[in-house]
Amino acid sequence: MNYLAEPRSFAEVAQYLLNLWRREGTLQFLRLSLMLGREKSIAGEMWKYGVVIGVLSFAFVLIMLFTEGGAAFNTSSDGINWGLAVSVYIFLALISSGLTFIASLSMVFGFRDFYPIAKRCVWLAIITLGAAFTALALELGHPFRMLWAMPAGMQYLSPMFWMGIFYLIDLVLLLIKFDRLWHDDWESPLSQSLSIASFVAVVAASGMLGLVFGSMFMRPVWYGTFTAVYFVLTAALSGAAAIVLATYVAYGFKQDRMPEQLRNMASGHALPGVFATLIGIALFSVLVRMWTGLWSHLDGLESFHALVRSPAFHFEVWAGLALPFVLMLSPKLQRQAPWQTTAAILVLLGMFVDRYTFLVTGQALPMFKGAWASGLAEYVPSFTEWMLAVLGFAIVLACYGLGERLFHLAADPRHRVRTSAEPKAAPRGESTAVHELGS
Amino acid sequence: MAKWGMVIDLEKCTGCQACTAACAMENSRLPGENWQDVIFFTEGEYPSVQVKWFPRPCMHCEKPSCMYACPTGATYKTSDGVVLVDWDKCIGCKYCMIACPYGARFYTDEKPLAAPDMRKVFRSKDDHSWSPPWRMPDNREDWRRGVGVQPRGVVSKCTFCYHRVSKAPKGTPDLDPSDPAQREFAPACVVACPPNARYFGDLANPNSEVSKMIANKNGVRLLDQLGNKPQVYYLTGSGGAVPTSRSTAKS
Repeated sequence: MNYLAEPRSFAEVAQYLLNLWRREGTLQFLRLSLMLGREKSIAGEMWKYGVVIGVLSFAFVLIMLFTEGGAAFNTSSDGINWGLAVSVYIFLALISSGLTFIASLSMVFGFRDFYPIAKRCVWLAIITLGAAFTALALELGHPFRMLWAMPAGMQYLSPMFWMGIFYLIDLVLLLIKFDRLWHDDWESPLSQSLSIASFVAVVAASGMLGLVFGSMFMRPVWYGTFTAVYFVLTAALSGAAAIVLATYVAYGFKQDRMPEQLRNMASGHALPGVFATLIGIALFSVLVRMWTGLWSHLDGLESFHALVRSPAFHFEVWAGLALPFVLMLSPKLQRQAPWQTTAAILVLLGMFVDRYTFLVTGQALPMFKGAWASGLAEYVPSFTEWMLAVLGFAIVLACYGLGERLFHLAADPRHRVRTSAEPKAAPRGESTAVHELGS
Repeated sequence: MAKWGMVIDLEKCTGCQACTAACAMENSRLPGENWQDVIFFTEGEYPSVQVKWFPRPCMHCEKPSCMYACPTGATYKTSDGVVLVDWDKCIGCKYCMIACPYGARFYTDEKPLAAPDMRKVFRSKDDHSWSPPWRMPDNREDWRRGVGVQPRGVVSKCTFCYHRVSKAPKGTPDLDPSDPAQREFAPACVVACPPNARYFGDLANPNSEVSKMIANKNGVRLLDQLGNKPQVYYLTGSGGAVPTSRSTAKS
């Protein structure tokens, strides 16, 4: 075998890599592995930068954790207990959930226009969830102990216990689902059942993540049933923005490089329609939450006043939600690649800010810390925490490049040609793709 | 079975923080990691401003939200009503700290709350997070009950000095430090309190002094509206007050 294109199993990948290593020698093998081929491609670039940035950030975080421990973070018992690492976890986990929602549009609810992005959504959902778990694990005091202590404890009253259970089920179902799609099984009863089960699991998982916060009656900023609904709704928006951006990245931000059905979807009315609807719902949710927070005199809601005065909140509302909403409603702009991409980037930035401010605002009120902590708690993430965030995004970038290369992410059950039609991960400046690693 | 609880008479409390110091010495606390804190806050505005104080141990709630939040069961309630942390099960997720309405929990691995960082001054050579020169005898340390110097990456809190209280003879209604026979069983903060503002006893026993004081002197609980039902009661009388909110108007 001279090249690797759309392998059918991991055994095939392993065999190919072994042969390549024997043929090319170690150094050349490493170079080819880092480039994902002899020629530059977008997938190869994503993989390369993802791996390099990921390895560097991971090494930095590990060194800091081994030398400084949790003191490398700016979280504090007298202030913000959960910091940037947890907000990155929420951000990535809800993107994963949202991607599953978007995949379900075609695979569960029969909106066939969305088939061309379904497989890509499932792959991205897997890797964003993996990156989310990584960020969380590095924030925990004893991540390996969690593996036995949570199942052994069976704390069925703990929202975090159920969040873990549902996200684990979600991940397993996504992996099985992707395996089915990898083998072109879109419509068998098993595949359809998996799609439905995956949708149910991800609603439960993202809702439960909301309830981790929504159950906290002693934290009025978070408390209430609306938090779970808020998480589910904004997860859908995050997922929509992520798939729009990821799809354009894979095709060099050009609609004309896309396979026909994907191009039709991107340039049609359905995608901006769904996107605008989700942005509108999120904008409404953010504003009504802010209204009740500002209007009430309830003890514990003071931090809403600090939030409304912060530039981050206004960035989220105006740049992260209102502007993309207008862009996706505009008949002239909504179907153009640059504006769809701009809207997706702004929404993702807005959602990142939203997760962070949601988390910090909820903890800003000191809990009887007295002279040790007067006023609202202040928090600025440390460099280590930012590196942990970078690690999470690097994992997504690298794995997306790898998936783009190994799997046929633009697959569509209505268009079963696997290798001929579309230039996936088109090389820069060329429409004829060179997919081979070692050819 | 006893249901241990504490009564703090705010009319007697002088805010001297002997309880905080005694707790720190008894339980080898890091500076700033005050399992037993005394909160100073102000009420009113100049020229009618008042400085007030308020002692705050862990409330050992009847319905501890920290326990219900814990995903592993590391936080649990003993049959005699004390909320403890099993450091062998704690994964350091800090959800219990989020869920505690009273801010009574501390995470070990973070920047020091007060300089210098004693964990670096007295470095540990084993699994302990640090090696303080003053620490309880090893045979009293009990990580499954959160007693002693904690390991890294876990959450710690007041244990009501469980290593002392749990040794009390069964059926004892009160652990009165003025009684030489009971002194060694009473929590360190109760023993050390100079004005004797603290009382410790069995809340389930209607004949205990703590039960009588709560009934006769109208004992109240902090943030009672939340429903956690603390087992620490305060006697306010005419001179003391329990803060009604966690609002930011604290000095």
